[in-house]
Amino acid sequence: MGKINLKSVYFWLIVLVFVLFPFVIDSRPMTILLTQIFIFAILAMSYDILLGYTGIVSFGHAMFFGFGAYATSVMLKNIDSSLTVFFLSIIVGMVIAGIVSFLIGLLTLRLQSHFFAMFTLAVSGLFLVLAEKWRSLTQGNDGFTFRAPEIFSDRINFYLFVLFCLVLVFLLLRLFVNSPFGKVLIAVKENETRTKALGYKTIYYKVVSSVVAGVAASLAGSLYVVSLRFVNTSMMAIDVTLNALLMTIIGGVGTLVGPIVGAAIIELAKHNLSILAKTYPIFERWIIFFGIIYILAVIFFPKGVVGTLKEKWEGRKMVRQQAMKQKEDAA
Amino acid sequence: MELLINLTINGLSTGMLIFLLASGLTLIFGLMHVLNFAHGGLFAWGAYAGVWFYSITSSFTVALIGAIIVGALLGFITERLIIRPVYGDVVPQILITLGFMLVISEMLKVVWGPNQIAATVPPALSGSWEIGDVLIIKYRLFIILMGFLVFGIFYYILKRTKIGLIVRAGVINNEMVQALGINIKRVFLLVFMTGAALAALGGALMAPYSGVIYAEMGMDFAILAFIVVVIGGMGSFPGSLFAAILVGLAGSYMAYYVPDLSLAVNMIIMVLVLIFRPQGLFAVKG
Repeated sequence: MGKINLKSVYFWLIVLVFVLFPFVIDSRPMTILLTQIFIFAILAMSYDILLGYTGIVSFGHAMFFGFGAYATSVMLKNIDSSLTVFFLSIIVGMVIAGIVSFLIGLLTLRLQSHFFAMFTLAVSGLFLVLAEKWRSLTQGNDGFTFRAPEIFSDRINFYLFVLFCLVLVFLLLRLFVNSPFGKVLIAVKENETRTKALGYKTIYYKVVSSVVAGVAASLAGSLYVVSLRFVNTSMMAIDVTLNALLMTIIGGVGTLVGPIVGAAIIELAKHNLSILAKTYPIFERWIIFFGIIYILAVIFFPKGVVGTLKEKWEGRKMVRQQAMKQKEDAA
Repeated sequence: MELLINLTINGLSTGMLIFLLASGLTLIFGLMHVLNFAHGGLFAWGAYAGVWFYSITSSFTVALIGAIIVGALLGFITERLIIRPVYGDVVPQILITLGFMLVISEMLKVVWGPNQIAATVPPALSGSWEIGDVLIIKYRLFIILMGFLVFGIFYYILKRTKIGLIVRAGVINNEMVQALGINIKRVFLLVFMTGAALAALGGALMAPYSGVIYAEMGMDFAILAFIVVVIGGMGSFPGSLFAAILVGLAGSYMAYYVPDLSLAVNMIIMVLVLIFRPQGLFAVKG
């Protein structure tokens, strides 16, 4: 009991530090960068529900991000830029994402895992073309700007709101993965055949997991466009999926903290590399560096930063416990 | 009538390009259960290599052969460096091939610059024939012929030669083939290199057809190839031809008659196949 309390004390302390951060360090670029990190942390966490907890690979996460992005920007532009419309648009995006992820899951999750990866890639590719073609609504690749709700014109307010969303999503997802339902998901990841043999309808668990991930990704999309006050089709492009993948893999699959750390690492690295690129043009091709790191991580470092640290820590704890037990036995 | 013929030729030629990409994908999957998400990148490399060889030698034959060699070499590197370390492990395999796709697509920009490059149709194949009222663009016909030629050659190899027999047996049960004393890994390397070479050939043929090449073209075509593989059945060589032609023709007719639906049509076919025949139209019995 005592340990759990200590953990949650640390957790709320960290949250408090970030709440106070913009008031202590008054730096607009830093606030914006942190906001971005939080938004991508939500996206990466949602991705990890699929990859790290259920063991399925989706290449269509950009699509769910895009649903949120377009729902929010279209509604804020065409209705009005009030806070009510903003919240409504988040819900609309989530509902669309939920329905689409439900249908995709139902169609492909009963097949081999390759099908889900392939099908999500194809469907999100088609949605991207749809967004490009449906110019009356989306204005295609040019995109459009819109007004954000009045209250968010203060960057700090928006920062706090995004931080609140991140903490909320983190707590909800933690509840989700620690519930009996979440345990079944992990069982599906470890050995689906055996889980089926134990009498679980694994397809049901996998579909729910894909819906949860899709809905959370849509929230990230809604927040992202408000931070930019702009939307275009690049928010549905495969790059978004790749971002989520990179963050999850490098941060650590199978933990919720991992994707958050991954989001911070990737966003900070990108930020610094884009500064470096001004002097060394080779860094304009930073995707190559990330890609190589990512490939090496998948082969040699499959647990990511957080996973590896956790393993080390737990290993040491085990050694300590064993030593204690030996001492007791001796005495 | 004239319109119908032209739409058919357009559809067939697009279909053939997709077929060149999808056939390698489907054989690689059938044999080793590896879904190569980097296949589109090999296609784009083929396109760039073809244009580059053509610009320095101004011989289209050399360009095609050069693209095939580049594709096979890249296939060799991919198989050895990327696929082998995670062999048999589905999730890392999917992840790693997509990562490799990212890297090779960006490498294109490093080698040839980030801008689009224009590609021209070789003079011998440019222009068109007029038969009655029907105007037939030579280059499109050339692509269709190349597609059928490739299909014919590989169909012959698969059905009539020993290596073809091994590949077909491997698709059905690769453990059994291994138990009979055949080094299936070496066969797989060969199939992988062949698949990569076919993708590169597809890219090289695609370049003059579309007029411009760009680094992201691989992904666009790979998506169509995945749709084709799902429709045709993973592992089926004839299935990939049939499905590629189906997707090509459907896209071509729909783009003319019901432009709003041209996007959705591939999707609808794929969803129908997944609902009623999830193993694909030409499933390989294993």
